[in-house]
Amino acid sequence: MSEMIIKNGCVVDPLNKIDCEIKDICIKDGKIVESVGRNATVIDAKGKLVYPGGFDMHTHIAGSKLNAGRMMRPEDSRLNVVARTDITRPQTGYTVPNTYSIGYNYAKLGYTTAFEAAIPILKARHTHEEFEEIPIIDKSGLTLFGNNWEVMDCIREDNIDKLTAYVAWGLKASRGYGVKIVNPGGVEEWGFGKNVHGIHDIVSNFDVTPAQIMTYLSEANERLNLPHAIHVHPNNLGHPGNYETTLETWDLFKGKTSKRDRPVFHSTHVMFHSFGGSNWGNVESKINVMADYVNQNNHLSVDMGQLIFGSATTMTGDGPVQYANARMFKAKWTNGDTELEGGSGVVPLFYSAKVSAHAIMWAMGQELALRVKDPWRIALTTDHPNGGPFVNYPEVMALLMSSKKREEALANVHKLASERTTLPELDRELTFSELCIMTRAGTARLMGLQETKGHLGVGADADIAIYNIDPAKIDQHVEHEAIKKAFQKAAYTIKAGVIVVKAGEITATPMGKTIWVNASESIPAEAEVAMQKDMDKKFRNYYSLSKANYMVQDEYLVHPHEIKAGGN
Amino acid sequence: MRLRQEVTEMQEVTLTPKIAVKIPVDGENIKPDTFAGKSAAEIKALDAWNGNTKMTLSDFFDVTVNGSAAPGETKIIIEGNVTRIKRIGEGMTAGSIEIRGDVDMHVGNNMRGGSIVVKGYADGWAGREMKGGELIIEGNAGHYVGSGYRGESCGMRGGTITVNGNAADFVGEHLCGGIITIKGNTGIMPGISNNGGTIIIEGNTTMPGAEMQKGTIVIKGTVAEMIPVYREAGVEEYEGVSYRKFTGDVVIGGKGVLLVK
Repeated sequence: MSEMIIKNGCVVDPLNKIDCEIKDICIKDGKIVESVGRNATVIDAKGKLVYPGGFDMHTHIAGSKLNAGRMMRPEDSRLNVVARTDITRPQTGYTVPNTYSIGYNYAKLGYTTAFEAAIPILKARHTHEEFEEIPIIDKSGLTLFGNNWEVMDCIREDNIDKLTAYVAWGLKASRGYGVKIVNPGGVEEWGFGKNVHGIHDIVSNFDVTPAQIMTYLSEANERLNLPHAIHVHPNNLGHPGNYETTLETWDLFKGKTSKRDRPVFHSTHVMFHSFGGSNWGNVESKINVMADYVNQNNHLSVDMGQLIFGSATTMTGDGPVQYANARMFKAKWTNGDTELEGGSGVVPLFYSAKVSAHAIMWAMGQELALRVKDPWRIALTTDHPNGGPFVNYPEVMALLMSSKKREEALANVHKLASERTTLPELDRELTFSELCIMTRAGTARLMGLQETKGHLGVGADADIAIYNIDPAKIDQHVEHEAIKKAFQKAAYTIKAGVIVVKAGEITATPMGKTIWVNASESIPAEAEVAMQKDMDKKFRNYYSLSKANYMVQDEYLVHPHEIKAGGN
Repeated sequence: MRLRQEVTEMQEVTLTPKIAVKIPVDGENIKPDTFAGKSAAEIKALDAWNGNTKMTLSDFFDVTVNGSAAPGETKIIIEGNVTRIKRIGEGMTAGSIEIRGDVDMHVGNNMRGGSIVVKGYADGWAGREMKGGELIIEGNAGHYVGSGYRGESCGMRGGTITVNGNAADFVGEHLCGGIITIKGNTGIMPGISNNGGTIIIEGNTTMPGAEMQKGTIVIKGTVAEMIPVYREAGVEEYEGVSYRKFTGDVVIGGKGVLLVK
């Protein structure tokens, strides 16, 4: 089969403790190997940076909410129109690009894996249909559990065995990867026009609290020994003063550990959950408090949720927050009701550098990334397309790598960004190794895929990004524009041993895999039977479809990659 | 002749339609910004998509060019009907276009400066999302004059559109600025979702100003039907004539002004 060797590049591979060494990388049959024969294709990476392929752990790239966004934003689809070529399909859109554009643009940035962050089981089939239309990259997704009736019923009955069985079954039903929790309890309340405002509020019809939902699901997650921690979007997103709720949530898991080499809790898009103040007039950043907490405690990991000025399409399972957004900005709004599994909302927004709240939020994301000391526990994200589209990652990378760029940028945004955050006093500049951890090595490890993803050692998938940067020569403080440009257009992106991007242009479009976690095998029969009995009843009484038509069938995963839970 | 042109520094480009087209042609290259400084041969070679087929302007037009100048001093004359050629003058910033006949949809869309005169009929979306300049339609106009295309929150933001004939429905939907004058009548719902522009209708219309947030709509003719979302607020003079003043749309807390006789 095809062999390839990458020579002379500056290899950054933090999982193997390699920081810019000139080193050959050998590829055979889509994997990285010890050596290759003389006839191997040679890629000369002299004067270039060699990274593992990018790994986005939190993004929204497939599912019915994407299509809701596309339908309500025809004006977005008129942006970035690219006609088809001999090898690429037509592309449209900026915040809600079409599926082809998502695959091509991730590859152009040197990204080779992306995790869809919210799959309602009921809509999972659609998510997988879209996955199969996203070319090049490997995909996977997190399944929503935070507002499911069966979860809350199990908790009310204090039946952790049945809950564990349900989580395993739900993962299989949706062909999902891990447990996502969005505004636990709050979206269920939203079905009655209400919300929860703290982690100890009671969810009306179930007599459980958000705190219980999270701790029980975490318990189930650890019993199943899933590769990823519970992935939580805490209550009160986007409310001034919400940092206290977030800290309380984090404290629930203080001191807890996992059998795996990872934290037990992932707090996502933390920027949106770290506001001080009591209203949008006096809102301020509490990122310093949040970052101190992360620095002092090992039980959690976080991701940024960086804001990008310009157009965004917010989409989340957090129905009530989207209603509030739509009212505040007089924006378009769709509301989704996912029957017994929560809901969702989609609202297009425009983030302006001249609006104080937006400028503060823009500064807060960077503040978080710079204040958290351990890059292995923080991921670079924009919560695409909530904070802004993923195509802007190079802008974020350049901001984090150059205090000069931040200074220049701060001068052009609302002055409260400097007064209500601590960004101006931060002069840290991420190293190439730290950036690598935050965008690939660390994210792959947080998702439990560090054996095959996020590194360049023997046995890893041959997912590699080569950029036109020579870390030995570039002055990142001054030449931030060159860094941004280089990250925008990878010199080469290699996916499973195939050159998919050369000089920023797509050269091949192989189909990536869909990764999912099978946790069903360890479930005791008794718990399985009890849970199935519950579900039969729920389908009979409440669901709009029958159980036989609910689960995603094998046919929907044309390129499946099954991972067994439990092992490590 | 040559000497005179150099002194006046004008460029005049005449396009004469050669064939009747059935499938719409994308004519976004027909504008002074693209034509300025180009020879007839260069202009003929410009792209013009005909449906899904890439063709050139020479497939549809005979082209003559007099002189060579910057966009601001470039005049384009289209001799005849171009009823299946869309997007003429899209995004133009300067110069002028005169269409001596009827034109297809989206004429002058996203225009930023300069002027377009249509001697005949302009189909839907004339001057949509226009930001500056002047668009004059001497005949009638189709639907959505000066509007925002599907999904846009802002239609026209600046400049002026004048229609000497009648205009069809939804004049100035999502208007955010600029002035639209319709000398004839209009169809239903002119100024729907007006967010800060001015519409003057000299003829008759019906159901003006639904969802108006800001801006002004003046109707000099008769209004067949009012939508019951306006509050009467006395009398106001406009160009020396007094009108009944209404404000609304009250349903969305709008502060738009509707002047009706």
